[in-house]
Amino acid sequence: MNKIELLAPAKDLEKAKIAIMYGADAVYVGGKFYSLRSRASNFSLEDLKELSQFAKRYGAKVFVTVNIVFHDDDYQGIREYLRYLDKIGIDAVIISSLALIPEVKKEAPHIECHISTQLSSLNSSAVRTLKEFGADRIVLGREASMAQIEQIAKKVSVPLEVFIHGGMCSNYSGRCVLSNRMTLRDANRGGCAHSCRWKYHLYDGDREISEKDCLLSMSSKDLRASAYVERMIRAGIASLKIEGRMKSEYYIGQVVKTYRKMIDEIYEKGSLSFDRLQYYDLELSKAENRPADDGFLSGDCDNTKHLYGVNGAGVTHDYVGFIHDFDPRRNIAFVEVKNVFARGDELEVFGPKIDNRRFIAEVMFDEDYEPVELANRPTQLLMVRMPFAAEKGDMIRKAAKR
Amino acid sequence: MELLFTLRKLEPLEKLLPFADGVIAGKHFTTGYHLSLEEMRQAARFCKTFHKKFYIAMDDFICEDEKMLMYDYLDFIDSIDADGIFFHDLGVYNAAKSYGMLSKLIYDGKTVLCNSFDSAFFLEKGIDSVVFSRELTLEEVKGIVHNLPGRVDMQIFGHLRMSYSKRNFLTNYFRQIGRDYDFKGKETLTLVEEQREYKMPIVEDEDGTYIYTDYIFEMFSEIAELKDGLKRGIVDTLFIEDDALIAQVLRDYKRVSSSNAGFIRDSFLHNHPGNYSSGYLYQKTNIVKE
Repeated sequence: MNKIELLAPAKDLEKAKIAIMYGADAVYVGGKFYSLRSRASNFSLEDLKELSQFAKRYGAKVFVTVNIVFHDDDYQGIREYLRYLDKIGIDAVIISSLALIPEVKKEAPHIECHISTQLSSLNSSAVRTLKEFGADRIVLGREASMAQIEQIAKKVSVPLEVFIHGGMCSNYSGRCVLSNRMTLRDANRGGCAHSCRWKYHLYDGDREISEKDCLLSMSSKDLRASAYVERMIRAGIASLKIEGRMKSEYYIGQVVKTYRKMIDEIYEKGSLSFDRLQYYDLELSKAENRPADDGFLSGDCDNTKHLYGVNGAGVTHDYVGFIHDFDPRRNIAFVEVKNVFARGDELEVFGPKIDNRRFIAEVMFDEDYEPVELANRPTQLLMVRMPFAAEKGDMIRKAAKR
Repeated sequence: MELLFTLRKLEPLEKLLPFADGVIAGKHFTTGYHLSLEEMRQAARFCKTFHKKFYIAMDDFICEDEKMLMYDYLDFIDSIDADGIFFHDLGVYNAAKSYGMLSKLIYDGKTVLCNSFDSAFFLEKGIDSVVFSRELTLEEVKGIVHNLPGRVDMQIFGHLRMSYSKRNFLTNYFRQIGRDYDFKGKETLTLVEEQREYKMPIVEDEDGTYIYTDYIFEMFSEIAELKDGLKRGIVDTLFIEDDALIAQVLRDYKRVSSSNAGFIRDSFLHNHPGNYSSGYLYQKTNIVKE
């Protein structure tokens, strides 16, 4: 049996490389066109080529989202685009327009067609339909429970992909155009204004029945399915997907690394103890995210899985620095400042090959070799002495004071 | 163009059917219909007697657990010899195929069928027609109708669905604020965003929560040039309790032509004042955040 795939998002080349270096088996990214998440930086054709080459060096795959809800005009240039993706070695496209399936087969024969969660496939019959239509993989809807996922997986032969982490639409994907009505921004073509997260008065006829200090919101907590990874593996799911093409490199690095280690441990030991699961949950909480739960995986989504009035992050650690290089002779890390930290702070380093090593930042210099007491200029490059070796691509964080 | 209306309860059938070519009704995997299976059987029989069409709305998503109900329901649909099934979950395609009912299927694209290519893709799979999304401009509508004449359907009147969630937004909200409020079956609840003024109808049933536009979509002025190309025009009666208004809508859509469209629209709006809109027909949405 193939090992389950860990699939990570990336909004630009730098983050895609981080995802792969931190252990993703595959990354999914959007091009400049045809992709939801319009605010993600998105990849130029050259970026996609570079990513494809980079991924191959690590044995990783690259999937490109072509997942807007197409209008007739949007198809312009799609055949050339598909041919280009095929030529540069992209592994799959994630599509919601079924008309693209025959186009991909014809124009880009080496590329797989993965059906987006926009299709909200929630039963084995729907999965069979899509397979008959030519799909190579189906991303299940986020409304399926774990028990339903297991049932579907038992009945179908096409590979299934399941979301395990990140933000969730509170509505069925693609079936919400609140944004279109309220902001004239097309939710299904990259313009979603997240109107579901706004506050609403509720009326019955002319009488308001909502509480003024707690208005109705449709906002859902984020998804964290760490407790279900083992069952997903046993169910024969092909790929575990992390949401978040808008997220930072810190989020991507931390979340990918945590799930990477968790998956590897399950394969190595056969299962995961409660303590180890708690450890991994703690690790996930170090990444920036909103309050999270298991969504529909446990069945129902009651009021505890909504956010009423709360939109803040439950992050336990701040990402303070990115290591661009390390001089082993002097034990000096060249650190790009990402957030405030001071001399004397206890910092924690993590990376593809390093697990949560802590040190006190006692010696810090700027580029002119002037001592630094307070690192508070984002993007400034500092030299920081460390008591252990680090590598380019490692990240530094400190416990948040909240 | 066949002119259809959604039959939400049995009572208005006799009164409204003479003005239409058929009805759409439903029980499972849809929302806003208040009919029992027996009433649907009666309605189907009544339609057949008057040589009118009887269609089924089965346009919600279906969970793995509900597949048995889906097959039972298809048995029922088969037994009443319905003329067609409006579906949205692709599981229905696979199931209907095993019943030899593919040619009765009508794919209702809700918010995600916005182009000719996907429409043509579905039609090539042997289904009867498709309902394209409501978020299109008139030019886009004309393009699809031109590309697939006689194979596409369109909602031509009624509140437009804006969102569909499996979550129980109302139940959860009342639980959150600790209040018991009996809203089941009610179609009088509305949402008003805190920075805006318009009231958007919201309903919750066992399948989830649905939110609709505050306005009623109408296209009396535009329908004349589309009538020959559309296979079906759908008048959605959800949240519209006034049967006389629906009767007038059906009469007007039947008789409207390019020469009287302005007059018909003006007199309709004069006689039935309300919150009407042409939706997105003349209002293109931005593709990305600006």
